[in-house]
Amino acid sequence: MNLDLPLVFAALMGLAMLMYVVLDGYDLGVGMLMPAADAREQELMVASIGPFWDANETWLVLGVGILLVAFPVAHGIVLGALYLPVAWMLIGLMLRGVAFEFRIKAEGWHRELWNGLFWFGSFLASFAQGFMLGRYITGFHAGFGYTVFALLVGASLCGGYVLLGATWLVLKTQGVLQAKALGWARWGLAWVALAVALVSLATPVVSQSVHAKWFDFPRTLALMLLPLATLAAGWLVWASTGRLKRGEAQADWVPFAGAVAIFALAFAGLAYSLFPFVVIDRMTIWEAASHPSALGFMLAGVAIVLPFLVAYTAFAYRVFRGKARPGLYE
Amino acid sequence: MSEVLLLSRAQFGLNIGFHILFPSLTIALGWILFYFRIRYARSGDPAWLATYKLWTKVFALSFAMGVVTGITMSFQFGTNWPGFMQKVGNIAGPLLAYEVLTAFFLEATFLGIMLFGMNRVPGWVHIFASAMVAIGTTLSAFWILALNSWMQTPAGQVTQGGQIIAGDWWQVLFNPSFPFRFTHMLLASGLTASFVVAGLSAWRLLRAGEDGSARVTLRTGLVLAAILAPVQVFVGDQHGLNTLEHQPAKIAAIEAIWKTERSVPLVLLAIPDEDKRRNDFAIEIPKGASLLLRHDADAELKGIDAFAPDTAPVAPVFFAFRAMVGIGMLMLLAASWGAWTTRRGRLPPRWMLWTLSGFTFSGWLATLCGWLVTEIGRQPWLVTGILRTADAVGGASGAQLGASLTGYVITYTAMFLAYLVVLTHLAGKGAHA
Repeated sequence: MNLDLPLVFAALMGLAMLMYVVLDGYDLGVGMLMPAADAREQELMVASIGPFWDANETWLVLGVGILLVAFPVAHGIVLGALYLPVAWMLIGLMLRGVAFEFRIKAEGWHRELWNGLFWFGSFLASFAQGFMLGRYITGFHAGFGYTVFALLVGASLCGGYVLLGATWLVLKTQGVLQAKALGWARWGLAWVALAVALVSLATPVVSQSVHAKWFDFPRTLALMLLPLATLAAGWLVWASTGRLKRGEAQADWVPFAGAVAIFALAFAGLAYSLFPFVVIDRMTIWEAASHPSALGFMLAGVAIVLPFLVAYTAFAYRVFRGKARPGLYE
Repeated sequence: MSEVLLLSRAQFGLNIGFHILFPSLTIALGWILFYFRIRYARSGDPAWLATYKLWTKVFALSFAMGVVTGITMSFQFGTNWPGFMQKVGNIAGPLLAYEVLTAFFLEATFLGIMLFGMNRVPGWVHIFASAMVAIGTTLSAFWILALNSWMQTPAGQVTQGGQIIAGDWWQVLFNPSFPFRFTHMLLASGLTASFVVAGLSAWRLLRAGEDGSARVTLRTGLVLAAILAPVQVFVGDQHGLNTLEHQPAKIAAIEAIWKTERSVPLVLLAIPDEDKRRNDFAIEIPKGASLLLRHDADAELKGIDAFAPDTAPVAPVFFAFRAMVGIGMLMLLAASWGAWTTRRGRLPPRWMLWTLSGFTFSGWLATLCGWLVTEIGRQPWLVTGILRTADAVGGASGAQLGASLTGYVITYTAMFLAYLVVLTHLAGKGAHA
């Protein structure tokens, strides 16, 4: 059997990045929503993400780790070009990570300070990630228009994470907080619509190869399934949150599932646009890949570890299923 | 040295130096927590539960600091040292990947259950989760120390079509310096954690007065430290002899031996003069270095001249090594004396409690000094004989590096101060925190 190792690792990297965006996305989103809630609600919000956020961020290390170890040349180019936004993101992630721990132990204005930093760190990390995405899909071109585009993607990703965070809260909370979260989810959805539209329209304009891939009849017709499915997922979020708002029968996990579907579909579209490039129009996954001996050795590890990883992650989510309870460390 | 190289090194050094503080505490603290958890499970004594919960908070805080600074490092490999992965990525990459896969996810996931799941899972599952967290942190150290040791004393690699790849992964992992470095680091972690446990417990006794659980944890920390410290002296010596065999240039810098000669004296203290290649104000033991390193008073030792021009700066390595040994000896003294004053349930005198509080972070200082010795001591090589540090540096401009360095310094300072405040606050409140 002749395995196309770079392709396998590109798929694994994509999977890790998608897992990261969805999982850390909801806890970053919850962080950004903190100022909109009162003190008692904030405790519940924090309790809903407490057991998960450490492991969620590990997916980022895995995603970047695969870029680093499977496509080392691309890792240097991408992170070199994104030097400053990477630094913002890291500072944001650091602030929110430690603020999360510190705020539990603090009282009075100290707690307010850590709440503020938790919000700011979540926002900074989310915005920086969106900005990086904007720079990445436009091939790191310099210029005013490109910068504005990256800023818009940054703001939109914040909206996307707010959608994930709000629908997560719909799933994990009840009563007044859940009602608030329903409202936040609908605002987030509006932002996401803007984001998806922006990125979808901009990428073909920026890159000829992306343009060629999407506007190639009759393939275009089949590809139109992707935006249509995204629209359907968006409608699902809108309709299910509406039913929950009106107090009609509706499973509380549906809005979150819809939000995850939107992210997965947008991700699939992006992956289709970029493939087989790891740096758009400059470097393919095969050109950037490490030596087969290194990839093979890693693949063995992935094959052994991944089932365990999935199993104990599922176990952790099972342990903490149901509505969040106040009071951490109990 | 170019401005970009200097700033890249400063930034990475700051980050890795700040990062290592937290793993070096949590690797061993994970096992100490596991011990507390077992004691509670077997006795059902609420004092053990309170102890476990208090130290779980310290662990969670330190772990979070380690995670966020560790994420930073995975990015800085690319932003600051792209040449590293381009040249030796086929070896370094899989080792880092295995760390993430086998260790990171394990510890992060089970930490959630350990911290928040005590009332949600059966007791044995919770104990299992505590064990997984401890195993995860230790595995993490295994992979990182394997990579670091390979960079110091490469083995098992072959060159094929201009690329460096692993010929024998077993040799790559268990390269000549790995067993020594790994043991040395695990013991350093054990000492760091036991002094933090003892120091904060002493602080609790001073602040909160008579506190049964603080007395027990004080004793636990001191006994552990008193056992580990002499073992560390022995392992450290063996590690030094291993370095002499595989990285003699580093030993020349550590001992400030400028010229290759026989009957080399042991320089206890001096001010190494880099330009004139000699030691000023030296206090020496005649033939001491030859005796110590070769077990023969007249043996020849290679000096820095034998490795020129590929030599490390002598002064920082020389002083950091002496600081490490000095702090280590004081720790040995404090641990054994402290263990003596707490024998059979005795409460030590207040001055001893103050002394132990002062020693709370002594393990960090010694560990940092040790890493300075080993990392500066292998310069100018990033991977000995294969890749120079200067050839791995990235293309970021001095201005970008300066701006982000400022950001990191401010963030780290604030994080560190907050960490210390919370830690002393937790300890001061006693078991009721």
